[in-house]
Amino acid sequence: MTPRLGLSIRHHTGFTYDGVAKASYNEARMTPRSLGTQQVQASKLTVRPAVPTWTYTDYFGTIVSAFDIQETHPQLEVEAVSQVESWAATLEAPLGWSELRSPHLVDRFSEFLLPTTRTAMGEVADLTAWRNLPDVHQCVEAVAGFVRSEVSYVPGATTVSATGREAWDRRKGVCQDITHVTIGLLREMGIPARYVSGYLFPAIDSEAGDVVEGQSHAWVEYYSGSWTGIDPTNGVRETERHIIVGHGRDYDDVAPLKGIYQGAASTQLGVVVEMRRTH
Amino acid sequence: MAVKFESDASGAWNEMFSAPGQARPVYERLLADLDAYQPQELRARSEQLSRTFIDRGVTFAHSGEERPFPLDLVPRILGALEWDRLARGIAQRVRALEAFLADVYGAGRIFDEGLMPRSVITSSPHYCRPAFGISPPNDVRIAVAGIDLIRDEHGNFCVLEDNVRIPSGVSYVIENRRAMTQAFSSLFSDHRVHPVDSYPSRLFAALLAAAPRKAVDPVIVVLSPGVHNAAYFEHVLLARMMGVELVEGRDLVCRSNHVYMRTTNGERAVHVIYRRVDDDWLDPLQFRPDSVIGVAGLVNAARAGNVVISNGIGNGVADDKLVYTYVPEFIRFYLGEKPLLDNIETHRLEDAAVREAVLASLADYVLKPVDGSGGKGIVIGPQATKTELKALRKAIAAAPRNFIAQRPVALSTHPTFVGDSLAPRHIDLRPFAVNDGSDVWVLPGGLTRVALGEGELIVNSSRGGGSKDTWVINDEAVAFRGAVPPASSRPRRHGAAPRQNDEFVGAGDEQ
Repeated sequence: MTPRLGLSIRHHTGFTYDGVAKASYNEARMTPRSLGTQQVQASKLTVRPAVPTWTYTDYFGTIVSAFDIQETHPQLEVEAVSQVESWAATLEAPLGWSELRSPHLVDRFSEFLLPTTRTAMGEVADLTAWRNLPDVHQCVEAVAGFVRSEVSYVPGATTVSATGREAWDRRKGVCQDITHVTIGLLREMGIPARYVSGYLFPAIDSEAGDVVEGQSHAWVEYYSGSWTGIDPTNGVRETERHIIVGHGRDYDDVAPLKGIYQGAASTQLGVVVEMRRTH
Repeated sequence: MAVKFESDASGAWNEMFSAPGQARPVYERLLADLDAYQPQELRARSEQLSRTFIDRGVTFAHSGEERPFPLDLVPRILGALEWDRLARGIAQRVRALEAFLADVYGAGRIFDEGLMPRSVITSSPHYCRPAFGISPPNDVRIAVAGIDLIRDEHGNFCVLEDNVRIPSGVSYVIENRRAMTQAFSSLFSDHRVHPVDSYPSRLFAALLAAAPRKAVDPVIVVLSPGVHNAAYFEHVLLARMMGVELVEGRDLVCRSNHVYMRTTNGERAVHVIYRRVDDDWLDPLQFRPDSVIGVAGLVNAARAGNVVISNGIGNGVADDKLVYTYVPEFIRFYLGEKPLLDNIETHRLEDAAVREAVLASLADYVLKPVDGSGGKGIVIGPQATKTELKALRKAIAAAPRNFIAQRPVALSTHPTFVGDSLAPRHIDLRPFAVNDGSDVWVLPGGLTRVALGEGELIVNSSRGGGSKDTWVINDEAVAFRGAVPPASSRPRRHGAAPRQNDEFVGAGDEQ
C-alpha cells in the first residue's frame, strides 16, 4: 500500500479593477476531482461578491464553476477549498514504440499529438537520440531532463500568455512554460502528451496542521499505455504531493480563472495557495 | 421571344432542352408563354425585377458594396417527381448529418467502429469542445440546412457541399417568387407552381419545437450580427415573417444561465435563439474574447438547458469539406440506408498515394480548401495558370488536410437573359431543409444560383452570381403520357397544388 497524503488546500485568486467592473462572466477551474491517484473528500468554491455558482464537467473532464456578477464591483475574489487524499502512482510497464505509433493510437490521441500555439516548438532540438531509446519512460525522462537543463525556472520571467517557444528562446520561464516546452517536444516525437494543472505540496516533512505556502503548479502527462505524470520543472515523476485539478491540450484549456467583463482595466490579484497536511 | 437550344462545348447538361428544338416536358408551356413576349418587353420586365429588389433592399455585400442580387427572368423548373426524389435525398442527408453531430458530440461510435479517423474531427477548426454536454431538447442541431446540389453532365443531381452552420439565401427564394409573381403573373396562371411562402411558418414551428421543455410559452428571437452583415436583409425578413424580435448581441443579457432580451417594457426571457452569428463570435467567454456582437454566458445558458441555440454550436464539423467525403458512409452507418444522392467524385489528400496521383495531374482537378465558403480559395485546375498551380502544389504539400480534390463537373446550363438575348449559363441549386425534430421538410425548389459570366462555374453571390426563381411543378400527367396536353385539357387534380391561391394572396399582400 503506497503512503497516503491527506491535504487541505485553499486557493485564493481574483482580479482587482481600476475603477469598477460591471457585468462579469467567469469560469473557474480550481476544484480537484477524484482520479486514480487522488480522492477528493470535500470541496467548496466561493465567490465575492457573493453569487451562486453553477458546475459542469468540461470536455477534458475538468470540473468548471461558472458564475456571473451583475452588480458593479471593484474586485472579484474566488476561493476554492478542498480536502484531498493523494497517493503516488506506480509506474506501469510501457507500451513498445511500435504499439505507441500504431495508427489506432495515433488517431485515438490525435489531439494530444497535434501542436497548439502554446506548444508548437519548431525544430529546436535534435530528437534522434531519444527516439532511439528502447523505453518510452526513459525517453520522456531524458526529454524532461533536457528541458529542465535548458530552461531555467525563473519566477516572473514570462507572462501568463507566453508560448513554450518564447520561453525556450529566452531559456527561462515558470512551470507553465517548462510544461509547454516538454509537451511540444514529446508530441513532436509522437508521444501523446497533455497539460496538467494542479497544486504541488512543497513540505512533505511538515507537521499535520501546519499551514504552508503551496503553489499552483503545472506538469505533464504522457501516454505510455496509461497516462503517466512527470514534472519537468522539478525533475521528478508525479508524486503524492501533486494534486490534479484539470487536463487539457495546453494552459488555455485549464486556466484556473478566466472571465470577461465590462469596465476598466484589471489586475490579477496575487494567487495564494495554502496547504495543510491533515494526516 | 423564342428560346433556342444552344449547344455548350463543355458537355454540360442543358436544363431546358434535350436536343435542338426538343424542350424537356416541364419547360414546354413556359417556352410557349415566353414566345409571346418581344425582346424589349422582356428587357422591361427584367428591369422591373431589379427595381423591385432595389426598392425592397434585397441586397448583399459584394466586394464591400451593397448590390441587388440579380434575378434572372427565366425561371428554372423541376418536375414534382424529380423534386420528390431530391427532397427525400436531402432529408436523408440532413438526418445523417444530425446523427453524425450527435455522435461526434457524444459517444463517438463512428470512430470506435473505425469508419472515420478521429483526427478528421480533432484537426477541424470547427470542432467545438464547449459543445460537449449541450443536449438539444429535441435532438435537433440542424434546424436549417442548405444542401448545395449540381446537375452533372449526365443529368444526375450530386451534392456539392452541405451547409449546416448558418446557411443563407432563403430570403432570395421568397423575394424572387414575390417579384416574379408581380412581373409575370400570367406565367403563374399557366403553371401550378409549388409555393414557397410557408418557409417562415415552418421555421417558426421548428424553432418552437426546439424550445426547452420547461419553457411554457417559449420566446424565439433572431440574433443578427447587425446591419453590416451581408445577409442582414434576410435576418430582417425572417424575423418579420415569423413575427419574432430581431436582436443583436447587445440586446441580450445572460444572468445565472438565463437569457433575457432588453425591451422598452423591461427584460423578457428568451428561450430559442435562431442565431445568424458564427460560433467564433457568439460568446466571448467561450470563443473570441474580443467579440462585441455576441452574448457573454450564452453557451453555459444553453448547457444549463435554459436556452436553445439554433443551429447548434460546433455544427461546422459536419460541413467541413473533408467530412463531406464521409457523408455517404454516415447514411449507411447511422441510418442503415442507401444514399439517395451521390457526392461528386472527391479525393482526400491525406493519403500519400492519392495525394501523389492528384499532384501529378493537378490541372485535371478542382481543388477546394476544406474550410472555405463562398467559393473562396477554389482553384479550377483546367482554368488555372501555372503560377496558381505552383502555389497550390506548395499549399497542399504543407497541409494536405486543408484541401480536397474533385473531378471537374460541368455544371448544367440554363437559358439566362443576358444583354438582350438568352444565353446558356451554368447554375446550381441550394435547397433549404427545416428539421423540427420529427420531420425534415424541404422547401420546394430552393435557390438556383447562376454564374453570370460566360463559362463561369462559380455561382456564389459573393462571386457576383445571380439567381433564378425555382419552380417545382406537377408533372405526373407529363411523365405518364410523354407529352403535354394543352392546358385546357390537362387533368387537374384536386389537392395537387391547393396552395396556389394562397401564394398569390401572399405575394400581393405586403406584410
